[in-house]
Amino acid sequence: MNDKPLYEALSAEDTARLLREIGPERSREMLQTMMLIRAFEERAQELFSLGRVHGTMHLSIGQEASAVGANFALTNHDYLLNTHRGHGHVLAWGSEVDLMMAEFLGREAGYCRGRGGSMHIADVSRNNLGANGIVGGGIPISVGVGLSIKSRKTDQVCLSVFGDGAANEGAFHESLNMASIWDLPIIYLCENNQYAMSMAVSHAFNIERISQRACAYNIVGVTIDGNDPLAVYQAVGEAKARAQAGNGPTLIEAITYRWKGHSKSDREAYRTRDEVKEWQQRDPIPHFARTLGLSQEEVAAMQAEVVSRIDAAVAFAEASPEPELSTILEGVYA
Amino acid sequence: MRELTYAEALREALRQKMVADERIFLIGEDIGVYGGAFAVTAGLFKEFGAERVIDTPISEAAIAGACIGAALTGMLPVGEIQFMDFVTLSMEQLVLQAAKIRFMFGGKATVPMVLRMPGGSGTGAAAQHSESLENWFVHVPGLKVVMPSSPYDAKGLLISAIEDENPVIFVEHKLLYRTKGHVPEEMYRVPLSQANVVREGRDLTVVATSIMVSRALEAAERLAQEGIELEIIDPRTLNPLDEKPIVESVIKTGKALVVHEAVKTGGFGGELVSRIVESEAFDYLDAPVRRLAGLDIPIPYNRNLEYHAVPQIENIVEEARKLHQGAY
Amino acid sequence: MAKEVIMPKFGFTQEDSQIVEWLVKEGDTVEAGDPLLEVTTDKVNMEVEAPASGILAGIRAVAGDTVPVTQIIAYILAPGEALPAYDAPPSAVSAPATTANAEETAPASPAGVGTTSVAARFAAAMGVDTSQVPGTGPGGRVTKQDIEDFLARQPQPSGKVRATPAARRIARETGLDLADVKGSGPRGRVQAHEAAAAATAMTAFPTAAPIATPIIESSAAASSRGELVRVPFTNMRRTIARTLQRSMQEAPHITFQADIDMTNLQALVARANELRPSDMETVTLTAALTRAVAWCLGRHPTINSHIGDDEMIIWPVANIGIAVALEDGLLVPVVKDAGAKGIGQLSDEIRDLSRRARQGKLRPDELADGTFSISNLGMMGIDRFTAIINPPQVAILAVGRTTRMYLPDDQDQPVVRPICTMTLSVDHRAIDGATAARFMADLRRVVQAPELMVL
Repeated sequence: MNDKPLYEALSAEDTARLLREIGPERSREMLQTMMLIRAFEERAQELFSLGRVHGTMHLSIGQEASAVGANFALTNHDYLLNTHRGHGHVLAWGSEVDLMMAEFLGREAGYCRGRGGSMHIADVSRNNLGANGIVGGGIPISVGVGLSIKSRKTDQVCLSVFGDGAANEGAFHESLNMASIWDLPIIYLCENNQYAMSMAVSHAFNIERISQRACAYNIVGVTIDGNDPLAVYQAVGEAKARAQAGNGPTLIEAITYRWKGHSKSDREAYRTRDEVKEWQQRDPIPHFARTLGLSQEEVAAMQAEVVSRIDAAVAFAEASPEPELSTILEGVYA
Repeated sequence: MRELTYAEALREALRQKMVADERIFLIGEDIGVYGGAFAVTAGLFKEFGAERVIDTPISEAAIAGACIGAALTGMLPVGEIQFMDFVTLSMEQLVLQAAKIRFMFGGKATVPMVLRMPGGSGTGAAAQHSESLENWFVHVPGLKVVMPSSPYDAKGLLISAIEDENPVIFVEHKLLYRTKGHVPEEMYRVPLSQANVVREGRDLTVVATSIMVSRALEAAERLAQEGIELEIIDPRTLNPLDEKPIVESVIKTGKALVVHEAVKTGGFGGELVSRIVESEAFDYLDAPVRRLAGLDIPIPYNRNLEYHAVPQIENIVEEARKLHQGAY
Repeated sequence: MAKEVIMPKFGFTQEDSQIVEWLVKEGDTVEAGDPLLEVTTDKVNMEVEAPASGILAGIRAVAGDTVPVTQIIAYILAPGEALPAYDAPPSAVSAPATTANAEETAPASPAGVGTTSVAARFAAAMGVDTSQVPGTGPGGRVTKQDIEDFLARQPQPSGKVRATPAARRIARETGLDLADVKGSGPRGRVQAHEAAAAATAMTAFPTAAPIATPIIESSAAASSRGELVRVPFTNMRRTIARTLQRSMQEAPHITFQADIDMTNLQALVARANELRPSDMETVTLTAALTRAVAWCLGRHPTINSHIGDDEMIIWPVANIGIAVALEDGLLVPVVKDAGAKGIGQLSDEIRDLSRRARQGKLRPDELADGTFSISNLGMMGIDRFTAIINPPQVAILAVGRTTRMYLPDDQDQPVVRPICTMTLSVDHRAIDGATAARFMADLRRVVQAPELMVL
């Protein structure tokens, strides 16, 4: 990494303005959602360790600010195309933690009736078009969503979330180019968490900022502090306005860090413990709690509530039946 | 009787559906002013405008993705891949996204899209513009694979494909575009997953796809003069396959020959043979089930080599005759 | 000394037989002449008899195997005797009383001089009888290579019948044993039509349950007068149809009729029956006529022939087929060398063949190698008719009923004579009209003067 900062942090004035704009209740909700995401993933990890989860998962611990900031700038009227590391976005989108947990545990009551699992949680009724197991897999789909919005002439926008790794897929180029030439209402949110599995961003790109690629498509590209929910909220909000004004897509690069391994099988040989610790000092949750000026007691109460919601979700999920084997063929064709 | 070419029949299906349903749009390379590499969409740009007949950059992955995203959000896209060969560049989107979204999301999403593409050899276009890759898609649950063999079916099947709620891979044939046949003017449908007994005969069942249907029909006429009567079945939809008429036919004839243009190894013929052998028709088989298919080579450029790379009428005649006479 | 049981040859053109079942187990004691096993050729089932008394051992072919004629299929051993060492299977089967292990009965080939020692050991290990192996070594000695070549030529005794799935289904549904069916498909594979034919053939005989149930269906054309009844062809029907159609298509038939006075032949038969010893069966007119025809054939050998591919094959003996009408079909059992048999013997044989034809109990050789046929419909009241030649024969005699007719005698006075119209059909490709006419003239002569037959 360069010594030179990749992005400009929000000024105190901007922070204050955004908090006013959002309001105290909703900003507390943003914090609590970040806490919920953290609690969900920590519990997920625990359930996995206990052998109660069949499949793998990709934890976004440390990246909660990006998910919350982006989704709070949008509504359920908009569209979400999510990444494989997408628990945070699903929760921030406002989907039900019970149904998520049930899906995570592979139950019939889960969002995908236990067919998708952690990597494919979708909530189509709320325009969450699903997380994607393929790096960059959702990016071409965003073009179609954008065309659809344009064709139906609504004021919706599509949030297409992916990681730094996806920006090196060929489909990224094809899609951003098309979105640009047709001015499609798409917000490309690249969550740069520094590693594509083990491949460091510094090795995978010969540019300083991924957002620089926007110039190739003549669209707006910004790099922001992905650990500041307000910075993300602002960038996504601006991108939405741009899209709704007919000025096409925006490429937002949110700098953040993945605390955990790529997946449960990652031995993390590619980075040092010190590096992880350094980023853990920049934990977005206590940082945002301080920004909101909340007392320790208030935060503890919020945390207790979050934990009880997770407890309830686990209880709900475990009470839900496994899918009937007789339904195995369902859902292949409409 | 009103006659149209295969290409005109496809165009008429697109036009009639676009007039009837505003959610339908076309997207692909050079389909607008140019009218499509094989002129299937000729004139539609003028009639429906750039918003419904969308020319794209050379971006096959994004064309497929654009269809998927639009289909997921209430539109009825009909994409065109200029040559079936180029669909290799769309495979991730088709195989991992379009085909799986519905199942992966617990049956709570639909992807009603059609992706048209011309396959097949015979134009001297050589190895990268002559592929017959239909069986790649047959191997992917969640996709439907349709291969019309006549102008009548081309129109009726395309209308059904557009109305279907699933992603449909619609494989046309370059050499069929100019062939003529009876095509009614009204907006009729040929149901998906309904095989067609193109010709009845007592001696031998031939299951053929796409251009091989007309070649098999010609072969049947020649063999009829020898007293050998072929029954020819066109599955029309390769997946999900309507195997009942095939099984019934083999029960009747006791002998089956499968004909397709795609290379034999790993081709759809293997699937057809398995369906026959696994079915109750097994007990009626009176000879090995044979496959007549493309040679296991890329399509060569040279006219003569290209001709011999895929089954021709005389090959079907010979193979059917030998099978009928008990040579295998 | 171990006695070989070989697969016998039953017919001139037969190359192999398929084993239906062994009637005797290894280790059982048999008497010479006891039936050992049942085999089938293309037409009929046969029993193979024990060539000697002793203990059955060393069975080399099992039910379902098709074995070339003259090949060894088992041995008859004396009590205590071991199987020939060169033939001992790996399990060293031997007669129960023996204590000798096959491996101990050294050394190898009986044809020691004509076999190299390496080949002899190899042959013993592989269970090959070196006397059956053509030798290519110095002085015609059998080498190891010869034995390898010999083994490579042997049919694989898999015990499995090659048959298409359709043929197997038909066999399953009809209780047919596919081992009884000769397949004409690639590598002898039994095909559906062959299985169906064999299955329906079973029904042609009264002992088997009918397979071909008549299918009754309504039809507009028949509605006022009843219903259409469809009866699928039996195998026999199909064979008849095919054979006779081929005959009519390929053989240009010409026919010759003669009204023949039967007085003297009838008298001969009557006299014979009068004089016959009490232990003899009655003599028939058919037998007398058969004998007369045989006499004529001896004088006209070109008529006693088969037509081949661009050739005629003239037979040295008259094997006369006698058409026997069955309930559904027709069989033509053959009286071999009829010219060498007396009328009494011919009567017995024809009676026996006819009865067994109706019972479906003919052996294949009894249907084979006919050189001429006689079809007699006189007892049905038919005055005269023409018959279709049964290929590859070149002639057939159709015999009508004998009627009493007025004829002018030497003085042109009407006299009553028993007259029978006989019609000869010949294949004009092989037989010219004059030859046929001379044959008929001789037939008239011999029937009217049967004493000629003793000449």
